[in-house]
Amino acid sequence: MPRLHPTPLARSNLTHNLRRLAVALAGIGFAVVLMFMQLGFRSALFDSTVKVVTDLDADLLLVNKAQYALPARLSFDYKRIEQARSCPGVAAVYPLYTETMGTDWKPASDAKPYPIRVLAFNLDDPVFLTPEVRAQAAALGDPDTALIDSRSKKQYGIPKTLDLLRAQRGAELAAQSIRLVGAFPMGTDFANDGNLIMSTANLVKFFPYRNGLGDPLSSVDLGIVRAQAGADLCAVQQALFDRFEGTEVHVYLKQELIDKELDFWDHSTPIGYIFSVGTIMGFVVGVIICYQIIYSDVADHMAEFATLKAMGYRNRYFIGLVLQMSLYLSVVGYVPGLLVSMLLYNWLAHGTGLLLNLTLPEAGLVFALTLGMCAASGCLAVRKVLAADPAELF
Amino acid sequence: MPQSATLTAGAASPETPVGDTPAIRIRGLNHYFGEGELRKQVLFDNNMEIAPGEIVIMTGPSGSGKTTLLTLIGGLRTVQEGSVEVLGHQLHGAAMAKLVDVRRELGFIFQAHNLFQSLTAFRNVRMAAELFSLSGQQASQRITDLLTILGLEQRIHYKPDSLSGGQKQRVAIARALVHRPRLILADEPTAALDEKSGRDVVTLFQRFTREERCTILIVTHDNRILDVADRLVSMVDGRIKSNVLVKVSIEISEFLRHVPLFQQLTPRTLTEVADQMKLEKHAAGTRIVAQGAEGDKFYLIRRGSVEVRRDAGGESRLLATLTEGASFGESALVTGEPRNANVSARQDVEVYTLDKEHFRAVIQASATFEEELRKAIFERH
Repeated sequence: MPRLHPTPLARSNLTHNLRRLAVALAGIGFAVVLMFMQLGFRSALFDSTVKVVTDLDADLLLVNKAQYALPARLSFDYKRIEQARSCPGVAAVYPLYTETMGTDWKPASDAKPYPIRVLAFNLDDPVFLTPEVRAQAAALGDPDTALIDSRSKKQYGIPKTLDLLRAQRGAELAAQSIRLVGAFPMGTDFANDGNLIMSTANLVKFFPYRNGLGDPLSSVDLGIVRAQAGADLCAVQQALFDRFEGTEVHVYLKQELIDKELDFWDHSTPIGYIFSVGTIMGFVVGVIICYQIIYSDVADHMAEFATLKAMGYRNRYFIGLVLQMSLYLSVVGYVPGLLVSMLLYNWLAHGTGLLLNLTLPEAGLVFALTLGMCAASGCLAVRKVLAADPAELF
Repeated sequence: MPQSATLTAGAASPETPVGDTPAIRIRGLNHYFGEGELRKQVLFDNNMEIAPGEIVIMTGPSGSGKTTLLTLIGGLRTVQEGSVEVLGHQLHGAAMAKLVDVRRELGFIFQAHNLFQSLTAFRNVRMAAELFSLSGQQASQRITDLLTILGLEQRIHYKPDSLSGGQKQRVAIARALVHRPRLILADEPTAALDEKSGRDVVTLFQRFTREERCTILIVTHDNRILDVADRLVSMVDGRIKSNVLVKVSIEISEFLRHVPLFQQLTPRTLTEVADQMKLEKHAAGTRIVAQGAEGDKFYLIRRGSVEVRRDAGGESRLLATLTEGASFGESALVTGEPRNANVSARQDVEVYTLDKEHFRAVIQASATFEEELRKAIFERH
């Protein structure tokens, strides 16, 4: 004959004292928010760093071999672009120039200058994926014009709306007057607080000595390679490797370059480590809070648990009970934590210009951490419930 | 050799139906707490047998070991020395899983109700039912019936917070009874209750022993409920001091009260004497007391008749014929002289006997009694 459906004791005990449950949820939610914040900042910083690559319409990228990270900015000769164009499987190769030296930006002539990163491309080359850049590229044909990153930091004094921005006068770049004709979203990273995009012609005008006395456009920072439709990217990469063997140029698939960049920030700087430690701290705080909640609940019911033991309930029932409690707590504590984190992400993304996006893998990771956190505290609290001795009830 | 059946600890009571497995059988039970130097014996060579359907009340001062005994019977502690059989299961050497299995056949009632505050009365009782194979409907029916019998039909779906102390204890009792246990172990079940609720609870116990044939072992200090006991067990210093079937004890006291020797005794002393007496059966024609032998027992005739003869100068003279309620054998115990007559059964006889040691103890305990006795003996001579 079937056993009776078991009474949901774990749930009943947790929901019986609503005040305690609210405290429990606040505690676990806090730990969840802590973990979300650490993971969020981490991926925001990392994503921001590679955003300039992500935004490029590239299959493969040519970079200087010695460039260990994007801000290192080691360039290569323009002739490599032309050499790449003749490689089998290559449809097009475009140069991208970046400039961060002497790029003082002032929103008005009497304002305090801040350095800004300048990205420049041939207006005929469809280099950027960003729709705003594509749509406004034509306006960059005029001299002394640029698009500004709308997520640049506040100190750049960027007007809130496009109309105000276009009407603004008196801004200066490298002590020359400049006119903003539009905006695009990119965001800040470790090295750069703001971005400008302009044409190569304007780059030459603003920074004529960027390559010393040589042609300012002869030193390229990134080569954007578009493969022919249907071409095997790996084969194209191999062909380019062969072409550039013994030169200063290395060829990456777009994702490869992104991964390399992320790997650098994650492992060659303390940044990844700091955020991992932060996440672990959140986890530990969560374990302690969750343990407190489960332990005090168990401690309050020792006589009842001992009675169940006397009646013939086995140890595995109590282990299951405590784990069930921790499962409920993790699920119920995760939801408010997630909601608060979403609000905070939104608020911080506006405040800092960092790319704070609550992604599904991140949400999944935090949920797994929350489950682990509550399970760990459940395992700690199991010892208490197993110590309930029915012989002491008499 | 007389057929003997004692009423004291250590042997089957005359009321135990033959062939029925005792609910509890304890043999040579010792128990110790602590380890090494600190090891302290708390139970000393205890023997006890309890028949199915009995209500047993165990009393004794705190620290007398009755709680330890209860936990051993309940399979809540490991038996160290001796034998404890509960409902036919030997608990000595039983594995933990086996103990849990045995516990499922028992009902436990504790001093505190130990109900989950988060569950209704119904759910609390159901927690116990979930250990057994029952359909949902059967379980619901049984729980509702039990709570109704216990006077809680209006409170079935209330949580303990909205129940009075008595009601909570009754829910705990329903929880102990829901799986129809054949043995219920209760620790001070009425301590937290007022007189009326306490009385209701023990009345229920009586009803359940009758209707469900279960045995109930109650440890209590509450002398308001002693009257429901079929058997009274009293423990002192880790030993079962007395173990008496109340009915028999009352019967003996009744006999003793009509013996002139014992008329001056308080009912309490009388019961104590009764508790120490043993039942002997003698076939017709058997000699019970031999003239010239050393006096070792005092006799009280329960059923049948005996003749008292004195051998003097080669002839045997009939001194008296004694029947039900009469006593003999006291003078040799008092004077320390050999038996002064033969006593033989005229028909099949049942006698209660009290050994010399206990007889003397009773005498010393009661100065008036000793006086009475000497006077009685003096008058007889």
